Amino acid sequence: MDARKTDRIATVIFWAIGILALGILAFIVIEIFVRGLMTAINPSFFAGKPEALQPGGGIGPMIVSTIYLAFLTMLIALPISIGAAIYMSEFAHEGRFTRFIRFCLDSLGTVPSIVFAIFGMTLFLFYLDWRTCLLAGALTMALLNLPVLLRSTEEALRLVPVTYREASMSLGASRWTTVRKVVMPTAMPGIITGTILPLGRIMGESAVVIFTVGVFVRSIPLSPFDPAAPLAGYIWYVQSEAIVPDYRTIVNGGAAVLLILLFLINFGARRLSAYYSKRKSLGG
Amino acid sequence: MEDNGDGHKMQVNNLTMYYGDFKALDDVSLDFASRHITALIGPSGCGKSTLVRCLNRMNDLIDGSKVEGEISLDGENILGPGYDVISLRRRVGMVFQRPNPFPKSIYENVAYGPRLVGIKNKEKLDSIVEDSLKRAALWDEVKKILDRSGQSLSGGQQQRLCIARVIAVQPEVILFDEPCSAIDPISTQKIEDLMAELKKNFTMVIVTHNMQQAARVSDYTAFMLVEEQGQPGRIVEFGDTNTMFTNPSDKRTENYITGRFG
Repeated sequence: MDARKTDRIATVIFWAIGILALGILAFIVIEIFVRGLMTAINPSFFAGKPEALQPGGGIGPMIVSTIYLAFLTMLIALPISIGAAIYMSEFAHEGRFTRFIRFCLDSLGTVPSIVFAIFGMTLFLFYLDWRTCLLAGALTMALLNLPVLLRSTEEALRLVPVTYREASMSLGASRWTTVRKVVMPTAMPGIITGTILPLGRIMGESAVVIFTVGVFVRSIPLSPFDPAAPLAGYIWYVQSEAIVPDYRTIVNGGAAVLLILLFLINFGARRLSAYYSKRKSLGG
Repeated sequence: MEDNGDGHKMQVNNLTMYYGDFKALDDVSLDFASRHITALIGPSGCGKSTLVRCLNRMNDLIDGSKVEGEISLDGENILGPGYDVISLRRRVGMVFQRPNPFPKSIYENVAYGPRLVGIKNKEKLDSIVEDSLKRAALWDEVKKILDRSGQSLSGGQQQRLCIARVIAVQPEVILFDEPCSAIDPISTQKIEDLMAELKKNFTMVIVTHNMQQAARVSDYTAFMLVEEQGQPGRIVEFGDTNTMFTNPSDKRTENYITGRFG
C-alpha cells in the first residue's frame, strides 16, 4: 500500500475515534442537562430549601455548601501547596530527600478518597469531638488534594525559564525576592490552571462529604463550623436514603446543577489564568 | 569607582573550579584592567563562560560547583567566607548569551534593579530608567512604548534592554557572556559601539566566540584552551589585544586566531 493511501486510512480512523469519544461525552452531558433541567427547572428548586418529607424541595443550601466547601478547601490547600512547591522547586537541593517527598506525594495521590474520608472522620469527629462541619470536610479535602495541587504547582514553577532566575539573581536579587517578583508572577497562570482539576474533584467528591460534612441541611451554612450538605453528598443521600416522593427530580436536577457549577468554575479559572497571562506580557 | 593601586579592578589568582568531580578550570590567573575591555576567547567548552560566571559567583547557583583560589574585587577576596554575594552582584553585573528580559514592561525591566535596593520614588525611577536606556542606546526606540512588554522587542533591542537593566544597578564591572551570539550583525555592531562608549565608566569582560569581535572591542585578550577532551580549561596566553592578534607568542594561539582550529 502506498504511503498516501495509508495516511488517508489512518486519518479516517483517528477522526472516527475522536468523534466517538466526543460523541460519548456530548451524550452524557446532554442527557444530564435534558433530564435535570426539564424536570426541575424553576427558581424555587435552585434557591429553595430542601424538604424532608414533602415533594417540591429545593437545593439552595446545597449549592452554597458546594461552593463554600470548595472555597474553604482551596483557602487551606493553596497556601500550603504553593509554599511546599516553592521549597521543592526553588530551594531544595535535588537528592534523596526530594525524591522521597515526591514518592510520598505520588503514593498519596493515588489513595482512594474513602480512605481520607475515614481518616478525617476519625481525627475530627471522634478524636477532636467536632460535629460534622464544613471545616472538617475542608481540612480532609485539603489533604486529599494536596498531592495533586502540589505537583501541578511545582510543575508550573519549573516551567519558568532558568534564564529569568539568572537575570534576577545577577541583578542582586536574593532567591526569595526572585521567587516573589519574577517566578511567581510568571507561573501564576499555570498555578491557576492547576487548580481546575482539584476544584472539580472537591465539588464532585462524595465520600469525604458524607463522612465529615453532612448530607442534609435545612438552612444555608454560615460558619465553617456549621454542618452543610454539598451537592455530591446530597445527591447520594436523596437517591439512597431519603423518603421524599420526588427524589428522581431532585437527583437529576442536582446532577445538572453540579455540572453547571463545574463548567462555571472551569470557565472562571481559565479567564483568571488568561488575565494573568495578559497582565504579565503587558508588564506591571 | 575606585581603582586598585595597579589599575586592576579584578584579579583572579590560581583559580581552580569544579562541577562535582569534573575539573572545569585549572590554575587560572588573570587581571582585569580598570575601565578597559578584556576579551576571553577560545573554542567551545574551554571554560570561558565558566570563568566569567565565577566573577559574579553565578556558578554558586549550580549544585556541586566548587572553587579554589582567589578572585579579588578592589583587592578584596570575593570568594572569602561570609562574602556578601548579593552586594557583589550589584557591583558586578552580567549580560547573558540569550537576551533574557523579564516578562514585564520595558520600564519595569529597567526599574527592577533599582527597586531591589528600595527606590520607590516615581520621579527618581523615571530618571534612572530614562538615563539607563539612553546609555544603552535604546531610549529613542522605546521612549514611546515603555509600558510594552520587554519581550515584544527585537532580539538586538532586547539585548540592549538587558544592558540598560544592568546599567540601572550602577555596577562597577559588567560581564558579557557571548552577548551577540544570538543576534544579527547590525545589532551586534550597535552593541559593540555601545561597549566602546561604556568603557568610560565601566570595567568590562566579554566572552566571545568571534575573534574579529574580540579584536575590534577589547584592549586585552585571554586565549583559553582545553588540551584534550575531559581536561580542564587553562589560559594559554594573555596580553594586549593588538600584540596577541599581530604577534602571538604561543603557537596554539596563532593557530586558533588564524583559523586553523576551533
